[in-house]
Amino acid sequence: MNITRKKLGTSLGVFAFALVAATVVIWFRLANQVAIPEDRTLFVVFFLLGPVMGVAAFIVGTRWFGGVAAVIAILVGLFLPFTVAISRQEVAENPISVGDTIPYFVAIDDESNRFTSDSLYGTPVLIKFFRAHW
Amino acid sequence: MQLLTVSTDHPEVIRKRRGVHGLQARMLSDRNLAVTDAFGLRNQLIHSGPLGDDEAEALPVPTSLLIDAEGKVLWMDQAENYQRRSGPEVVLAALRTHLD
Repeated sequence: MNITRKKLGTSLGVFAFALVAATVVIWFRLANQVAIPEDRTLFVVFFLLGPVMGVAAFIVGTRWFGGVAAVIAILVGLFLPFTVAISRQEVAENPISVGDTIPYFVAIDDESNRFTSDSLYGTPVLIKFFRAHW
Repeated sequence: MQLLTVSTDHPEVIRKRRGVHGLQARMLSDRNLAVTDAFGLRNQLIHSGPLGDDEAEALPVPTSLLIDAEGKVLWMDQAENYQRRSGPEVVLAALRTHLD
Protein backbone atom coordinates (compact mmCIF):
# COMPACT_ATOMS: atom_id res chain seq x y z
CA MET A 1 0.00 0.00 0.00
CA ASN A 2 2.75 2.38 1.04
CA ILE A 3 4.76 1.60 -2.10
CA THR A 4 1.72 2.19 -4.31
CA ARG A 5 1.11 5.56 -2.63
CA LYS A 6 4.73 6.55 -3.16
CA LYS A 7 4.46 5.57 -6.78
CA LEU A 8 1.37 7.71 -7.16
CA GLY A 9 3.02 10.66 -5.37
CA THR A 10 6.16 10.35 -7.48
CA SER A 11 4.11 10.24 -10.66
CA LEU A 12 2.23 13.32 -9.55
CA GLY A 13 5.48 15.19 -8.90
CA VAL A 14 6.97 14.21 -12.24
CA PHE A 15 3.73 14.99 -14.08
CA ALA A 16 3.51 18.40 -12.37
CA PHE A 17 7.04 19.14 -13.53
CA ALA A 18 6.31 18.00 -17.10
CA LEU A 19 3.15 20.12 -17.26
CA VAL A 20 4.90 23.27 -16.02
CA ALA A 21 7.92 22.64 -18.26
CA ALA A 22 5.74 22.21 -21.36
CA THR A 23 3.79 25.38 -20.52
CA VAL A 24 7.02 27.31 -19.95
CA VAL A 25 8.37 26.19 -23.34
CA ILE A 26 5.19 27.33 -25.12
CA TRP A 27 5.14 30.58 -23.13
CA PHE A 28 8.70 31.56 -24.03
CA ARG A 29 8.30 30.48 -27.64
CA LEU A 30 5.31 32.83 -27.93
CA ALA A 31 7.17 35.55 -26.03
CA ASN A 32 9.99 35.28 -28.55
CA GLN A 33 7.50 35.79 -31.36
CA VAL A 34 5.88 38.69 -29.46
CA ALA A 35 2.68 36.64 -29.63
CA ILE A 36 1.59 36.08 -26.02
CA PRO A 37 -2.21 36.40 -26.14
CA GLU A 38 -4.17 39.16 -24.44
CA ASP A 39 -6.15 36.59 -22.47
CA ARG A 40 -3.60 34.50 -20.57
CA THR A 41 -6.12 32.71 -18.32
CA LEU A 42 -5.40 29.29 -19.79
CA PHE A 43 -1.66 29.78 -19.22
CA VAL A 44 -2.25 30.77 -15.61
CA VAL A 45 -4.51 27.73 -15.09
CA PHE A 46 -1.85 25.38 -16.48
CA PHE A 47 0.93 27.07 -14.51
CA LEU A 48 -1.09 26.77 -11.29
CA LEU A 49 -2.00 23.13 -11.91
CA GLY A 50 1.72 22.42 -11.48
CA PRO A 51 1.92 23.67 -7.87
CA VAL A 52 -1.42 22.01 -7.02
CA MET A 53 -0.17 18.64 -8.23
CA GLY A 54 3.24 19.29 -6.67
CA VAL A 55 1.69 19.84 -3.24
CA ALA A 56 -0.52 16.78 -3.78
CA ALA A 57 2.62 14.76 -4.48
CA PHE A 58 4.00 15.67 -1.04
CA ILE A 59 0.70 14.93 0.69
CA VAL A 60 0.52 11.50 -0.90
CA GLY A 61 4.24 10.89 -0.34
CA THR A 62 6.88 10.71 -3.03
CA ARG A 63 10.35 9.36 -3.75
CA TRP A 64 13.16 11.91 -3.84
CA PHE A 65 13.11 12.63 -7.56
CA GLY A 66 9.35 13.08 -7.53
CA GLY A 67 9.92 15.52 -4.67
CA VAL A 68 12.53 17.52 -6.57
CA ALA A 69 10.27 17.64 -9.63
CA ALA A 70 7.36 18.76 -7.43
CA VAL A 71 9.39 21.56 -5.82
CA ILE A 72 10.46 22.90 -9.24
CA ALA A 73 6.86 22.68 -10.46
CA ILE A 74 5.66 24.59 -7.39
CA LEU A 75 8.26 27.37 -7.68
CA VAL A 76 8.07 27.90 -11.45
CA GLY A 77 4.31 27.35 -11.54
CA LEU A 78 3.81 30.13 -8.98
CA PHE A 79 6.41 32.52 -10.35
CA LEU A 80 5.03 32.91 -13.87
CA PRO A 81 1.44 33.73 -12.80
CA PHE A 82 3.05 36.26 -10.46
CA THR A 83 4.75 37.95 -13.43
CA VAL A 84 1.40 37.96 -15.26
CA ALA A 85 -0.20 39.65 -12.25
CA ILE A 86 2.36 42.47 -12.15
CA SER A 87 2.77 42.94 -15.88
CA ARG A 88 0.45 45.88 -16.34
CA GLN A 89 2.20 49.20 -16.84
CA GLU A 90 1.14 52.78 -16.76
CA VAL A 91 2.78 56.07 -17.65
CA ALA A 92 2.41 59.30 -15.69
CA GLU A 93 -0.35 61.79 -16.45
CA ASN A 94 1.18 63.69 -19.34
CA PRO A 95 3.15 61.43 -21.62
CA ILE A 96 4.17 62.55 -25.07
CA SER A 97 1.41 62.05 -27.64
CA VAL A 98 0.78 62.25 -31.37
CA GLY A 99 1.14 65.83 -32.64
CA ASP A 100 3.61 66.86 -29.89
CA THR A 101 7.14 67.96 -30.72
CA ILE A 102 9.73 65.81 -28.95
CA PRO A 103 11.50 67.41 -25.98
CA TYR A 104 15.17 68.38 -26.16
CA PHE A 105 17.32 65.74 -24.47
CA VAL A 106 20.93 64.78 -23.94
CA ALA A 107 22.15 61.23 -23.35
CA ILE A 108 25.10 58.93 -23.93
CA ASP A 109 25.15 56.13 -26.48
CA ASP A 110 26.62 52.64 -26.22
CA GLU A 111 30.10 53.99 -27.06
CA SER A 112 29.68 56.56 -24.25
CA ASN A 113 29.50 59.36 -26.84
CA ARG A 114 27.36 62.36 -26.03
CA PHE A 115 24.11 62.50 -27.97
CA THR A 116 21.74 65.44 -28.30
CA SER A 117 18.27 65.33 -29.75
CA ASP A 118 19.18 68.16 -32.19
CA SER A 119 20.85 65.54 -34.37
CA LEU A 120 17.47 63.90 -35.00
CA TYR A 121 16.10 66.76 -37.06
CA GLY A 122 16.19 66.55 -40.85
CA THR A 123 15.10 62.93 -41.33
CA PRO A 124 12.24 60.85 -39.92
CA VAL A 125 13.18 58.82 -36.85
CA LEU A 126 11.76 55.74 -35.17
CA ILE A 127 12.48 55.92 -31.44
CA LYS A 128 12.04 52.77 -29.39
CA PHE A 129 11.97 52.82 -25.61
CA PHE A 130 12.43 49.31 -24.32
CA ARG A 131 12.77 47.62 -20.96
CA ALA A 132 16.32 46.26 -21.27
CA HIS A 133 18.40 43.56 -22.89
CA TRP A 134 18.20 40.94 -20.17
CA MET B 1 15.21 57.28 -41.76
CA GLN B 2 17.06 56.89 -38.45
CA LEU B 3 16.48 54.34 -35.71
CA LEU B 4 17.13 55.33 -32.12
CA THR B 5 16.70 53.09 -29.08
CA VAL B 6 16.50 54.08 -25.43
CA SER B 7 16.89 51.70 -22.49
CA THR B 8 18.20 51.83 -18.94
CA ASP B 9 21.04 49.42 -19.72
CA HIS B 10 24.66 50.42 -19.05
CA PRO B 11 26.50 51.45 -22.25
CA GLU B 12 28.76 48.39 -22.02
CA VAL B 13 25.74 46.07 -21.76
CA ILE B 14 24.22 47.64 -24.86
CA ARG B 15 27.56 47.34 -26.68
CA LYS B 16 27.86 43.69 -25.75
CA ARG B 17 24.30 42.81 -26.72
CA ARG B 18 24.14 44.92 -29.87
CA GLY B 19 25.99 42.24 -31.85
CA VAL B 20 23.49 39.59 -30.79
CA HIS B 21 20.64 41.51 -32.40
CA GLY B 22 22.72 42.89 -35.29
CA LEU B 23 21.16 46.29 -34.68
CA GLN B 24 22.25 49.25 -36.76
CA ALA B 25 20.48 51.74 -34.51
CA ARG B 26 21.98 54.52 -32.44
CA MET B 27 21.45 53.05 -28.98
CA LEU B 28 21.19 55.31 -25.94
CA SER B 29 21.80 54.45 -22.32
CA ASP B 30 19.28 56.17 -20.06
CA ARG B 31 20.42 54.99 -16.63
CA ASN B 32 18.81 57.85 -14.69
CA LEU B 33 15.67 57.86 -16.90
CA ALA B 34 16.24 61.50 -17.88
CA VAL B 35 15.16 60.82 -21.49
CA THR B 36 12.34 58.51 -20.37
CA ASP B 37 11.04 61.22 -18.03
CA ALA B 38 11.39 63.96 -20.67
CA PHE B 39 8.95 61.91 -22.77
CA GLY B 40 6.81 61.02 -19.73
CA LEU B 41 7.22 57.29 -20.29
CA ARG B 42 8.36 56.04 -16.86
CA ASN B 43 6.30 53.07 -15.66
CA GLN B 44 4.35 54.11 -12.55
CA LEU B 45 3.23 50.64 -11.50
CA ILE B 46 5.22 47.69 -10.14
CA HIS B 47 8.79 47.73 -11.35
CA SER B 48 10.02 44.28 -12.33
CA GLY B 49 13.43 44.81 -13.83
CA PRO B 50 16.85 43.21 -13.67
CA LEU B 51 18.57 42.98 -10.27
CA GLY B 52 22.16 43.48 -9.18
CA ASP B 53 24.46 45.78 -11.15
CA ASP B 54 21.94 46.15 -13.95
CA GLU B 55 19.15 47.28 -11.67
CA ALA B 56 17.64 50.63 -12.63
CA GLU B 57 15.39 52.69 -10.37
CA ALA B 58 12.52 52.21 -12.82
CA LEU B 59 11.87 51.24 -16.42
CA PRO B 60 10.17 52.92 -19.35
CA VAL B 61 6.87 51.57 -20.61
CA PRO B 62 7.86 49.97 -23.94
CA THR B 63 6.95 52.57 -26.57
CA SER B 64 7.61 53.15 -30.28
CA LEU B 65 7.44 56.68 -31.63
CA LEU B 66 7.61 57.77 -35.25
CA ILE B 67 8.95 61.31 -35.52
CA ASP B 68 8.98 63.46 -38.65
CA ALA B 69 11.95 65.51 -39.86
CA GLU B 70 10.77 68.50 -37.78
CA GLY B 71 10.57 66.53 -34.55
CA LYS B 72 6.79 66.07 -34.48
CA VAL B 73 5.27 62.77 -33.30
CA LEU B 74 3.40 61.17 -36.22
CA TRP B 75 2.53 57.85 -34.63
CA MET B 76 2.92 56.12 -31.31
CA ASP B 77 2.49 52.59 -30.05
CA GLN B 78 2.63 51.62 -26.40
CA ALA B 79 2.42 48.34 -24.50
CA GLU B 80 0.09 48.63 -21.52
CA ASN B 81 1.30 45.24 -20.49
CA TYR B 82 4.97 44.41 -20.85
CA GLN B 83 4.21 40.81 -21.76
CA ARG B 84 2.30 42.01 -24.78
CA ARG B 85 3.64 44.35 -27.42
CA SER B 86 3.21 45.01 -31.08
CA GLY B 87 5.15 42.92 -33.53
CA PRO B 88 7.32 44.34 -36.33
CA GLU B 89 4.39 44.26 -38.76
CA VAL B 90 2.60 46.96 -36.75
CA VAL B 91 5.62 49.25 -36.91
CA LEU B 92 6.17 48.55 -40.61
CA ALA B 93 2.52 49.34 -41.36
CA ALA B 94 2.88 52.65 -39.52
CA LEU B 95 6.02 53.50 -41.49
CA ARG B 96 4.20 52.81 -44.74
CA THR B 97 1.16 54.86 -43.74
CA HIS B 98 3.07 57.89 -42.51
CA LEU B 99 6.15 58.03 -44.67
CA ASP B 100 4.93 57.00 -48.12
